[in-house]
Amino acid sequence: MLSPLELALLKSLEIGRRFSVDEAAELSGMKKDTVFKVVQYLKEKGLAEIETRIIREYSLTEEGKKYLENGFPEEKVLRLLDEGRALNEIEKEIGKKEAGIGIGWLRKKGIVAIEKGRVKVKERKPFEEREALKLLERGEAFRISDELLRVLLKRKLVSIEEHKEIYVKILEIPEAELKEVISDLTPEILLTGKWKEADFLKYDIKIPSEDIFTGKIHPYERIISECRKIFLEMGFTEIKGNYVQTSFWNFDALFQPQDHPARDMQDTFYLDEYVDLKDEQVEAVSKTHENGWKTGSTGWGGEWSLKRAEQLVLRTHTTAITIHHLANNSEPPVKAFCIDRVFRRESIDATHLPEFEQLEGVVLDRKVGFRDLLGLLREFFLKMGFEDVRFRPGYFPYTEPSVEPEVYVEGLGWVELGGAGIFREEVTLPLGIKDKVLAWGLGIGRLAMLRLGMKDLRRLYVPDIGWLRKTPVISSKKGGK
Amino acid sequence: MPVIQLFWDELERLVGRGREEILEKLPMLGCDIERVEEETIDIEFFPNRPDLYSVEGVVRALRGFLDVEHGYREYRVEKGDWKVTVESQVFEVRPRIVSCIVRDIEITDEVIRSLMEIQEDLHWTIGRNRRKMAIGVHDLSKVYFPLRYTAVDSSFSFIPLDFENVMSVGEILEKHPKGKVYSFILEGKDRFPMIIDSRDEAISFPPIINAEKTRVTEDTTDLFVDVTGFDNNVDSALNILTTMLSDRGGKIEEVEIMYPDRTEITPDLEGKTMTVRKDEIESLLGFELENKEIELALGKMRFGVSKSNTEFEIRIPPYRADILHRWDIIEDIAIGYGYNRIEPEYPPTTTIGMRHSWNEIRDASKEIMTGLGYLEVITFTLTNERTQYEKMRRKFNADCIQVMHPITEEHTLIRTDILPKLIELLSMNRHHTLPQKIFEVGDVVTGMKNRLRLAACSTHSRANFSEVRSAVQAVMKELDLEWGVTDCDDGIFIEGRRGKITVEEKDAGVFGEIHPEVLENFQIMNPVVGFEIDLSTIFDTGIVL
Repeated sequence: MLSPLELALLKSLEIGRRFSVDEAAELSGMKKDTVFKVVQYLKEKGLAEIETRIIREYSLTEEGKKYLENGFPEEKVLRLLDEGRALNEIEKEIGKKEAGIGIGWLRKKGIVAIEKGRVKVKERKPFEEREALKLLERGEAFRISDELLRVLLKRKLVSIEEHKEIYVKILEIPEAELKEVISDLTPEILLTGKWKEADFLKYDIKIPSEDIFTGKIHPYERIISECRKIFLEMGFTEIKGNYVQTSFWNFDALFQPQDHPARDMQDTFYLDEYVDLKDEQVEAVSKTHENGWKTGSTGWGGEWSLKRAEQLVLRTHTTAITIHHLANNSEPPVKAFCIDRVFRRESIDATHLPEFEQLEGVVLDRKVGFRDLLGLLREFFLKMGFEDVRFRPGYFPYTEPSVEPEVYVEGLGWVELGGAGIFREEVTLPLGIKDKVLAWGLGIGRLAMLRLGMKDLRRLYVPDIGWLRKTPVISSKKGGK
Repeated sequence: MPVIQLFWDELERLVGRGREEILEKLPMLGCDIERVEEETIDIEFFPNRPDLYSVEGVVRALRGFLDVEHGYREYRVEKGDWKVTVESQVFEVRPRIVSCIVRDIEITDEVIRSLMEIQEDLHWTIGRNRRKMAIGVHDLSKVYFPLRYTAVDSSFSFIPLDFENVMSVGEILEKHPKGKVYSFILEGKDRFPMIIDSRDEAISFPPIINAEKTRVTEDTTDLFVDVTGFDNNVDSALNILTTMLSDRGGKIEEVEIMYPDRTEITPDLEGKTMTVRKDEIESLLGFELENKEIELALGKMRFGVSKSNTEFEIRIPPYRADILHRWDIIEDIAIGYGYNRIEPEYPPTTTIGMRHSWNEIRDASKEIMTGLGYLEVITFTLTNERTQYEKMRRKFNADCIQVMHPITEEHTLIRTDILPKLIELLSMNRHHTLPQKIFEVGDVVTGMKNRLRLAACSTHSRANFSEVRSAVQAVMKELDLEWGVTDCDDGIFIEGRRGKITVEEKDAGVFGEIHPEVLENFQIMNPVVGFEIDLSTIFDTGIVL
């Protein structure tokens, strides 16, 4: 296969004729450098010959020009001799040096001889040097005999310059290459239909091209979408809440005692802001905390502080949202879920973040119980790709019974994945929720770590663009699902 | 949650079962096994079960759960002639006291260690760091009855535990190691709780420190235990402690607590009863159970059942502080029955799933942005004034949410804008190949409410205004919005290369070329262009609770 340049050169030069690189460059419209390179390739392919010649160029020296104009010293001496001048007179006339050169050459050529101190003309001969210089001046150096040239060079009347000239001769053009070869397909080629008579240049398909990067969804967001899809498929309604909540919805409504350690400043981001709360629900919650109200519970005892319930917090769990939704939608059946950001007052390390996503689902219905909660959990985890699920007793302040589901992960064993339970009556009754509420939640970051094989949660929220670029949209090596 | 360490030989001996069986069944009783060693096991029990914070308590529960011993364990309380008078001065500071006498107990190092550990754990859990409840344990032979529980002023003096000299209450609160740690509980008080014996010597300064004179030593055989506080948490703690010491072989004697208006006899180890209907059990658990199965499960969990038919009269062990409500017992029935024996069933509740419009808009935005070749990122919403405003050449937004006790200077408020987070992110990713085009669609909080925002940035050597305007044009077109541009004075952008996006004459976002001073603040060496659109202004994002 010939390159387009090789082909172009082959086509612009006549086969068998020798061209200089200059000529070839002019004929092909290429630069001399390019011609030279292309010819080398053609030579390797046996399609061209390269010939290097040494060219000599002669020119008159300053002295040569002077002799041609004013006459050679031997000519001058001979003329004066013919006028009968004596040697000392000649020397006086043209200078001793020139007279010496003239007599020297006349004697050498056998034109004069010195007899008894006198110069005597013996024989007349033509001066070939003058003719030679004239030829040189006309650029006809090739007419001058090598012997004479040597003499002129020796007499420093002529100088010589040598240089190389490269000649190219195309030997043949292979038949198959005569067709035009297309590299970039252009609108012009399409318009003219030139491609019909042309071949396409075959590229080296093994050479990698420049890397480009796709715009895509964050891998963690993809997992969140998957969870949302599962909930929606199971008939759950998606709900949404503000990050800022009252302590009432975040804690009190969930029967978290006001002196519970989880409510400490240590673990919760409080705001120095309060909102007014006062309605029947708040009243009922207050009594439930103090003495159980109508729930049949003993309550926590002590005095419940409205002020503490009115303080705003960055929600510590999405249960603040699900319970609020149930309080507003207290008639069964309700199925709702929420996947959203929660905040904890924790120092950042590989497994602890001050904010992270939590997933939470609730079912409010009459004829459901603990067994249905386990069924729901098993189904959910199965859809998430965990085939083995088991249940252990757990403890959460607002559920009874409580359960900690665990899933089996190859290589890790049983991994605890969230918590679940049935909302206590101390939670549901004061808010007028009409029946049992099955609830479960999990820190979805842990799920992401399992799925993405990550060891550092920070990577999700402080993204390294390199990591995002190289994390595939779908993994063929994904374990589980 | 407290983690307790138990010794295998003791545990196996007292439970009467082997290590393997204990290890297998323990998690099904409700706990996390933290670590298993050749000689010991570390277990984390849930905070609602302080009765399990001692080897005696764990043994008691396991013997029931593993069918070694069934049902309710009776605790005898002998009559005694011990009196404590509660004087009204103490009502304001720490009104309740309960106590008991424990006789004939062999005080080994092991018992002292176990006592100190459970005291510590109870102080932390039930006592909320001694605020609600504090325990004192004394050598009975050094205590001269009758006692007075009263309140004294700060000049009252005695020799506190671990000291040789007399100190006043004021000095103890200032100088004694325990005084320094717990003085916060009595802050602002001018009277201080004190238990004083008939020789007018202090034996305890609750909730801070005991007197040195009643120190428990290896020669001690009889104990006096006092628990002070405010409400029935003191009874729970006393019962847990008393039953544990009884399980150790101690004989319990009662103490008469005389208030001005009434007399209480403590401890009360009778065990309260609660009636639970069978249909409520079945409804909560979601499946039917034989009466025998329910009784068996209750017995395994060490409850007593005195009457059973359509309802059960259940006797609650005196150490169970967590039974507030019938459902607490029903959970124990489920645990006793075995969570692993319950066949899960998908609930019959049929409803139709619905997406929230907040997330629908969010999803649509993601589709548009990825289509434009932008990479999605997620960032923290916690940030700080410097990154959010100062370094952005923007004014502080008074509508932002500031947290009260930030952990680091980096996280002091919740973002009101996403664009600064993206610029910060680009700065952290300078080492990666350009062009970089990133976006985030998520929450900001202004005036306590979440808003949905879409922000994007593009950086490469030739990033310019027309690029970002094209992007905004494309986004607005795909959102099917009529929009306009007005001048803006947002310092984050270069003057003359910035615009405000308006939709129906409302400000709905900004776009432009990021100001070089901002780039310099983040050591970014390539031009950056960006935009941020407030989707909550444009769309109805649904109910946000």
